[in-house]
Amino acid sequence: MAVKKIKTIYDVLCPFCGTLCDDLEVDIADNKVVEVRNACQIGTKKFYSSNPNEHRYETPMIKKNGKLERASWEEAIDKAADILANAKRPLLYGFSSTECEAQSKGVELAEILGGVLDNTASVCHGPSLLAKQDVGQPGATLGEFKNRADLVIFWGSNPVHAHPRHLSRYSEFVRGYFRKDGRNDRYIVVVDPRNTHTAQIADLYIQVNPSEDYELLNAIRAVLRGVELDEKEVSGVSMEKIKELVNTMKTCSYGVIFFGMGLTQSLSHHRNIDAAICLTRELNDHTKFSIIPMRGHYNVAGANQVFTWNTGYAYSIDFSRGYARYNPGEFSSVEVLLKDQVDASLIVASDPASNFPAASVKNLFKHPLIVIDPHESPTTVYADIVLPAAIAGIEAEGTAYRMDNVPLRLRKVKDAPGECLTDKIILEKLIEKVKEKRGE
Amino acid sequence: MSEIKLKLKKETEIPLEAESITPDNFAGKSINEIKKLVVYYGREELTIGDFFNVTGKSEEKDDLIISINGNLSNVKRIGENMSGGEIIINGDVGMHVGNQMSGGKIQVNGNADDWAGAMLKGGELEITGDAGNYVGSAYRGFWKGMTNGVIKVKGKIGVEAMLWASGSVPAKRLPTLICGSAGSFLGIHNHGGTIIVEGDVDRCAGADQIKGIIVIKGKAPKILPSFKKIGEVKEIELFNGEKITGKFIEYAGDHSVKKNHSTVSKKTGELNKSVNGRLYIAA
Repeated sequence: MAVKKIKTIYDVLCPFCGTLCDDLEVDIADNKVVEVRNACQIGTKKFYSSNPNEHRYETPMIKKNGKLERASWEEAIDKAADILANAKRPLLYGFSSTECEAQSKGVELAEILGGVLDNTASVCHGPSLLAKQDVGQPGATLGEFKNRADLVIFWGSNPVHAHPRHLSRYSEFVRGYFRKDGRNDRYIVVVDPRNTHTAQIADLYIQVNPSEDYELLNAIRAVLRGVELDEKEVSGVSMEKIKELVNTMKTCSYGVIFFGMGLTQSLSHHRNIDAAICLTRELNDHTKFSIIPMRGHYNVAGANQVFTWNTGYAYSIDFSRGYARYNPGEFSSVEVLLKDQVDASLIVASDPASNFPAASVKNLFKHPLIVIDPHESPTTVYADIVLPAAIAGIEAEGTAYRMDNVPLRLRKVKDAPGECLTDKIILEKLIEKVKEKRGE
Repeated sequence: MSEIKLKLKKETEIPLEAESITPDNFAGKSINEIKKLVVYYGREELTIGDFFNVTGKSEEKDDLIISINGNLSNVKRIGENMSGGEIIINGDVGMHVGNQMSGGKIQVNGNADDWAGAMLKGGELEITGDAGNYVGSAYRGFWKGMTNGVIKVKGKIGVEAMLWASGSVPAKRLPTLICGSAGSFLGIHNHGGTIIVEGDVDRCAGADQIKGIIVIKGKAPKILPSFKKIGEVKEIELFNGEKITGKFIEYAGDHSVKKNHSTVSKKTGELNKSVNGRLYIAA
């Protein structure tokens, strides 16, 4: 038996969650991932998913007689550009699981097409961005929290499952410059309706009634100001516990709130974040406090950054007038689909069919649909054209932004299979072809 | 008095943006000139004549009535920035109707979509049906929403109406909203707006209110914990001097906001309830 030559690549970035771990070691043999070290289970799985499997697209596909069939790049790009160039109001959505260079090309294409441009923040931390625009955000980078924070509050987030290495790298177990004793030097608070695995390792667990976070934040803010409240209990939390929490917050030397979708996607959406940010701001009268969203996709922060430096807005952008306009609720992808206001869609590195409301998905499938994706997904199954992509961060280089908006360089560890191209090259081909069809 | 009649030829598939439909733009123009005014359809720049039949005669702006017929639920921005005259819409209307208008009147005989009367600076907007979310609200990122004028909605309105409303009694700016019933976060970040609800409201009315008056004649679910009960009143005096009679419970708030309007005395530790916003709920 021939011994395979194993190549080890060090300091690889993990293209999965917003923690963007940068210390992975990946063993490659025969252009296959054979071992991943240091990554969490989810990250490891993502690397293995790049190995040849039946769910991977290796050539462009075009729907003929209701079935996706193999096609050449030339034919697929030509047909896709045809659909986009003739659409009156195309939607370009996704972008959070690819690199910044491709996202930038997406903005360029949306501007040429005069379409609607959106990224997945629209259905995850978009509310955080809305609140930030209303009341600002006292934040810091993860290194600050690691080295200084002695009070860590996880509100509506469950890093044990969603950001598995966050706790050991930045927020709980890790030793910091001023937190030499790691876990023992930090007081952990979890606010969540469910007794999650993160709650089980916390020092203080506050069980709030589902979707009543706003009322609790409201009460905490009032108590912090010294207002004696009439209530004995708010959102299922006793006044004693609220006072205990406020006291803990006021007396710490550096506190941080990590909030997740439990705040952004429960009943009060951006108003939860609005109140949480106001609370953080007011806590800075007593001590040092910061607040930061636990971003999901590894480069959703990058999508917000790239869209903002290109257009001035982070998501939900409309180019129909030739310049960028912004209004979540009007130009956000879920709403434009729900109201059936687009006539073609291009989805890049995302799977809205699994995550959007059914009524929106129905309208997505009603009109021509082009998907750029490495793998088969509920969205690609209903697509008219699938353009196979190299997996960014594994088969393509690029830039990605961590959840605290620190840009890091993604590495290429192996070649893409078959005829796969990077998202950036595919979008460049589309831009070129659309321009040609428009006679520019 | 002159009148221009518009009739939608057929319903559009994607939204039509028609901010050119205002008495300001139509005043003194011939029918042919009005037909040539620009509207936006997706990425295309078309004209009013492409979508509407136009009849009537136009004279001075303040004496001009524009009446529009048809299902306009996919037509956005009618009456944007208008400063005088009148628009009568017979049927449902799309988003942003009458946004940022500073004078004149818009009458909608039907339902309106989101952002009706957003950032109103004056004038009157009346809707006989329901209205969507963000009625009379500030647009994203603005700290000053509706600054003056009146919005009347007969039916129910959606969430976050009158967001960042900004009124001032000395400056005689009295943004006012009267509605049948309202969704959650009514009058959030209210800085001097007046809101009267004939029926019920959803949760978190008056959240982050600094000053202003919210009167709820129907029921409200549990009010926010940071509101302090003052007592029962039989008469409410509004900023414009008008009075509402009836049995109401008076609350002061929102006391969670760190602003001088709701101060806790350092000496006595007592809360000064006299200067901040008011929430009245029918007893």
